[in-house]
Amino acid sequence: MPSSTSNFKRKLRLPRLFFASPSEIVPRDYERPIPQIPWRGITVVVVLIVIAVAWAWELYCRSIGYAPTLNDNEDLWTMARRNVKPESVVIVGDSRGWYDVDLDELEKGLGKRPVQLSMGGSCAYPVLADLANDKDFHGTIICSVVPRLFLAPPGAPPMDLSEKAVRRYHSQTPAQRVSQYLAMPLEEHVAFLKQEELTLDDLLKRLPIPNRSYAQVPPQLPPYFGTLDRERRARMIEECARPGSELQRRIQQIWLPLFTPPPPPTYIPIEEFIKSMDQAIEQRFHDVATAVQKFRARGGKIVFVRFPVAGELKTLEDRTTPRSQTWDRIMKETNSPGIYYEDFPELSSFNCPEWSHLSAGDSVEFSKRLVPHLRSALEM
Amino acid sequence: MLFNSLTFVVFFAVVVTLYWGTRSWTARKNLLVVASYIFYGAWNPPFAALLFSTTAMDFWLGRQIAKARGAHSRRVWLIASICMNLSMLGFFKYGNFLLENFQWLMAGIGIVYHPPHLDILLPVGISFYTFHSLSYTLDIYRGVLQPTKSLRDFILAVSFFPQLVAGPIVRAGDFLPQLVRPPGLRAGQFLWGLLLMTLGLFEKIVLADTMLSGSADRIFSYAGPLSALDSWLGVMAFAGQIFFDFAGYSICAIGAALCLGFHLKDNFRFPYAAIGFSDFWRRWHISLSTFLRDYLYIPLGGNQVRPLRAATNLVIVMFLGGLWHGAAWTFVVWGLLHGSYLVIERVIRVFFGDAVWANNRLTRLMAGIATYGAVCIAWVFFRASNFSIATRMLRGMFGGHPHGDAILSTREILQIGIVTACMILAHWSLRESNIETAVTRLPRWIVTTAWALMACSIILTQGNSNAFIYFQF
Repeated sequence: MPSSTSNFKRKLRLPRLFFASPSEIVPRDYERPIPQIPWRGITVVVVLIVIAVAWAWELYCRSIGYAPTLNDNEDLWTMARRNVKPESVVIVGDSRGWYDVDLDELEKGLGKRPVQLSMGGSCAYPVLADLANDKDFHGTIICSVVPRLFLAPPGAPPMDLSEKAVRRYHSQTPAQRVSQYLAMPLEEHVAFLKQEELTLDDLLKRLPIPNRSYAQVPPQLPPYFGTLDRERRARMIEECARPGSELQRRIQQIWLPLFTPPPPPTYIPIEEFIKSMDQAIEQRFHDVATAVQKFRARGGKIVFVRFPVAGELKTLEDRTTPRSQTWDRIMKETNSPGIYYEDFPELSSFNCPEWSHLSAGDSVEFSKRLVPHLRSALEM
Repeated sequence: MLFNSLTFVVFFAVVVTLYWGTRSWTARKNLLVVASYIFYGAWNPPFAALLFSTTAMDFWLGRQIAKARGAHSRRVWLIASICMNLSMLGFFKYGNFLLENFQWLMAGIGIVYHPPHLDILLPVGISFYTFHSLSYTLDIYRGVLQPTKSLRDFILAVSFFPQLVAGPIVRAGDFLPQLVRPPGLRAGQFLWGLLLMTLGLFEKIVLADTMLSGSADRIFSYAGPLSALDSWLGVMAFAGQIFFDFAGYSICAIGAALCLGFHLKDNFRFPYAAIGFSDFWRRWHISLSTFLRDYLYIPLGGNQVRPLRAATNLVIVMFLGGLWHGAAWTFVVWGLLHGSYLVIERVIRVFFGDAVWANNRLTRLMAGIATYGAVCIAWVFFRASNFSIATRMLRGMFGGHPHGDAILSTREILQIGIVTACMILAHWSLRESNIETAVTRLPRWIVTTAWALMACSIILTQGNSNAFIYFQF
């Protein structure tokens, strides 16, 4: 035996002071112990319990108004993103560009079926930048603008949401792709499969437990109020659109804290914080203008749209993100056409049931009326 | 492919059905090789080629080591294997880290050097499969393993899908003998495997991802000063999250392997009931700590050298263990902290190890609490993405921010408190036992209810596909 090996073995045989129980070097006959209990009986009972609980939970969820629908996640978004062809019409932005637009009407009016890439609570910029960097794409972008989301600083949830989706599009693994295809038929038939509403995490978040008075806890997100299909067309559910419904009232009260600017952080002097926010906003105007210029340089067209908003939410938005400092700046910096719903009586006569989005029925009519404005803005 | 994904559910069902439906043992092994490469390729197909090349090289080098006549040539072939494996790991995992540090060193002596940033994608689980593969040539060199004649068997030993990407680090010497003859299924083995998979997924999806990860992420990404309560809770949340995440993966791997008739060893043994740090490392990531012990600590001289040298060896091993986890100095500090803990414990044992009071219940309990606290402090460096976050966290934990911000909701505080308390209680009550014994002793209705409850919570949580933390290593 080579001396080095025998030396090694000799060392292994010596008592160890530090490691109390050395493992054997070649455990060739290792077998895990198997608990000896009546496995078959237990398994049958477990399966029956799980089926019964899942069935009961499904019935309960349906009884309180939930219906099967797809979850909006990065993988579904990636599926839609893959449908973008060089000349496609693409809708980007936030939930208003998502709920308020009917793809059938736009297809009739624009001659092409749009690809829906808007996402609830997201900032349009990362998607806009990604499309601008996509050298194959020179179609048309319809960009929804909710100023508070559009100008969200880097690192804020609206930016994270969009960036995550864009990242997934560029790095989706085959396994994630397959999982999405497997998940869709399930989500289309099972009501309790709602990743942002009926998961254990969401149910725990809804427990009415008071917080410490000084705790900085993020505001609540709105409950389920829409359905989604494979093209990512979102539609408000009837219960939310019904005048005076409890769901409608709840969502209205959630929008207000969600759209209220959070207090400045305690650890940065307020002047410094305001300065950094102003800089971030200026940077966003600049970045958007650069992306738009790049996209236009290869023949692409873009139009910005401000969709309807109502009630106290409109008052809040007008106060915290005034048109002159947000919308007008975007138009000026990008030198792009824009459609602001308030400028046109036929677009401003709609009611948003929960103040932020149109009902499914109104979204069809709104889209019909929007088409001539889009055609004109896009010089079609 | 993640264990907590629909793709895996379908994949596993198909593999298990085909595997047990096939009579020929050779065909079954071929099936497992194909399945393992599909499992791995489902992340990024080209990396399957990298996995294959590493495996094939070690297969060949293992033969060369066994064939070599003199000690010198054996050593040369072993060095070739070590260099090949570590250079792969070094390039993919530490390339940019090394360049950045080289730049920093150059700047220190006044030379301005701007290295290009290498756009390197880290192959999933490279640290794990490199060690799977390396154990083969090391064991052949040590004379404790004969090289296998079958490349297919060795490929399967390295790439066996349950343990491929996040451990346990299964040594070829432990796995290859299981490929000699077809495994049989003992009574209850398959269903016990399924129960273990349910437990693993429950730990990952429900406990780590749902109950703890959100709080830990918020605390560690908060840019301001935090109150002591929030800082400690954030660290405790991470301590629980990383345990449930990693132990959950290991349990899933063990369960999946059992369903296929293979036996993998425990990777965790109730580590938060450890009394002292050597005890902790006998309970935490056992496959890594034994790997480092057998292939690094003992060859360096182990304990059979002067105390100062032994302490240095210990620190070197933990330094490299830290670096194995990630290409960042924060991981190195985590490793060095554990190395220092081990050295301090050793000194304490020399002075007080035999004292009667040192072994009474109260002292042991206090030592257990102190171990958990010190492990939590070390986790700060493991989780923080840079030293300024780590410093801020430590300052918060030790009262440096008397008016620090409170950002956790009462619900989050309750979740962290309840899960941590239950986890520590479970670890202490099982510290001298194992899960198999516990299940055998428990009344049947408790086993049934617990299994059903775990399965229902997984369904209710809808298995949001967060990647396992250890995939990045």
